[in-house]
Amino acid sequence: MADRSAYTVSTAVDPTAVRPPIDDVNEIIRTTPDRVLAVLADLKAQGYRQLTDLGAADYLERSPRFDVIYHLTALPAQATAVAELGRPRRARVLCGVGEGVTVPSAVALWPSANWPEREIFDLFGITFSEHPDLRRIQMPADWEGHPLRKDYPLRGPARDRTPRPPFASKTNVPAQMPPTGAVAESLRRQIFERMHRNGSDESEAKS
Amino acid sequence: MSNLPDWLPAAGNPPGIDPQAVVTPTAPEVIARGDNEMVLSMGPQHPSTHGVLQVVLGIDGEEVVRAEPEIGYLHTGIEKSAENLFWNQALTVIDRMDYLGPLTNNFAFCLGVERLLGITDRIPRRAQQLRVLFAEMTRITSHCIWLGTHAIDLGAISPFFYAVDLRENILDLIEAASGARMNPTYLRVGGINGDLPEGWLERLDALIAKFPARMRELRDLLQTNPIWTDREIDVGVISAEDAVAWSLTGPALRASGVAYDLRKAYPYSTYDEYEFDVPTRTEGDSYARFLVRLDEMEEAMRIIRQVRKKLEPGAVMVDDPSIALPPKPAIALSMESLIHHFKLVSEGFRVPAGDVYSAVEGPRGEVGYYIVSNGDNRPWRVRTRPASFYNLQAIKKIATGNLIADVVVMLGSLDPVFGEVDR
Repeated sequence: MADRSAYTVSTAVDPTAVRPPIDDVNEIIRTTPDRVLAVLADLKAQGYRQLTDLGAADYLERSPRFDVIYHLTALPAQATAVAELGRPRRARVLCGVGEGVTVPSAVALWPSANWPEREIFDLFGITFSEHPDLRRIQMPADWEGHPLRKDYPLRGPARDRTPRPPFASKTNVPAQMPPTGAVAESLRRQIFERMHRNGSDESEAKS
Repeated sequence: MSNLPDWLPAAGNPPGIDPQAVVTPTAPEVIARGDNEMVLSMGPQHPSTHGVLQVVLGIDGEEVVRAEPEIGYLHTGIEKSAENLFWNQALTVIDRMDYLGPLTNNFAFCLGVERLLGITDRIPRRAQQLRVLFAEMTRITSHCIWLGTHAIDLGAISPFFYAVDLRENILDLIEAASGARMNPTYLRVGGINGDLPEGWLERLDALIAKFPARMRELRDLLQTNPIWTDREIDVGVISAEDAVAWSLTGPALRASGVAYDLRKAYPYSTYDEYEFDVPTRTEGDSYARFLVRLDEMEEAMRIIRQVRKKLEPGAVMVDDPSIALPPKPAIALSMESLIHHFKLVSEGFRVPAGDVYSAVEGPRGEVGYYIVSNGDNRPWRVRTRPASFYNLQAIKKIATGNLIADVVVMLGSLDPVFGEVDR
């Protein structure tokens, strides 16, 4: 067993390295935004007819910061039996994208690139030129920021700002039997008033 | 002159309209592209959208001129969450993406992480076989829900009860083995979490014995029912070329004729040892997708029967104390086990830096994970390739030019799960 303590931990996975594949991918191509469309068109002409997946990754400290990752599979465009299909070739295209750089859209090559590109725009803030409908897809239209960026916090400040009603502290309740009748009714009214009072009166309610 | 009542207007054009000025539109495109387009929002609370999908339809009469699905109502940032959890903890959120096929999600993720760790060859055979067994059981349960809800969409209530009853029988088995019905997180990186309980295989035998009769019931309910076939046949046709161009996978692609099944194309675990067919049809319509899924349920049971026969005794976790939790009794007896347990629970294990794309054949198609590790105890990036995200997108193509009622049929036949579409 390899010594696992020797593995380096870093936020920057080497940008230019094309590692030997350890999956079913036959070729890995690293390219740049200005050439990616030509590379993809070339691969499509070679028979990679299916855009299997289109995703992105943020490496934060690396330059270029993002990777847009295309996975292609060489599927035939007509009915094919299992035996004919065999083991289709697969390709991975990694396109390094810097902050604020626009990537040409692959919608002209594969109509299915529409939604994944919108998702990358939404969650990473990478823009695609010539995209027919580039707008947010997962987050609400008025959302600020791009959540899958590494500098986007896991939990937003909104969570701390959630207003919580000031509950009656225990000292207010006599420590004997639970109150009944009119006493209980007045307590219930007090608690109700405190819960529905504005935040400005909070300190007063506590005292 | 006629027997018509006198309050009916006389035949001919209404008064005041010059008959020469009335233009009768003849070509269908004139009707469709006229100014009569009305925008109708279907969903996000529509019962046939199976969760929270909104389809904005541009309609002209009953005909759909444009269809634009709006998704994201169920977006919960699962990928972001997974990147902030230990490798094994991430399995619990990945379960919840495709919540009808949770075991296949974890299957793909575990295979990817195991490749990064370089322990793919050391996964015990029993664990691999059990993974296949549970993946196929999940496929049947998922298709049961699809069948039931699809039938309800089309107005047939009873198939749902039959399908859900069969599903519950299988979920009982999953629960007995993993402890949970719905999101079991039964798989772990390196194997599965705990062996089968006593008497489980006998219960599986009972299920295998009654499955053919139950399947026949389901088929009898719908397959040759003229109401059903009228609604399904020639509705939502996708050609093989379009299916590939729109990145369809799974039953949706195979119903168009392309027999692409990851279990056959890139056999993982022990799939190359079992005999099974890949149900394929060439029509590409909703009925073809319906038949492919029904056949798939039977093929899945065929695989389950073979796994049951070939199931080998042995360990279910990789023999590597730095990845697998020690057995519970060992913690009380050995100091090393206690230390390993503590380290694995408190800080997980580290995975060598690298990237991997690993995919399995889920109930809805290719479920893939592009995983990037930077050598830490948490994944750096978990990109999901959600099958129904891509499948659902094709509704834009196939809904146009069809009737509103058929959009419901098409949506059902593409079988989207919104936990996975929105993540």
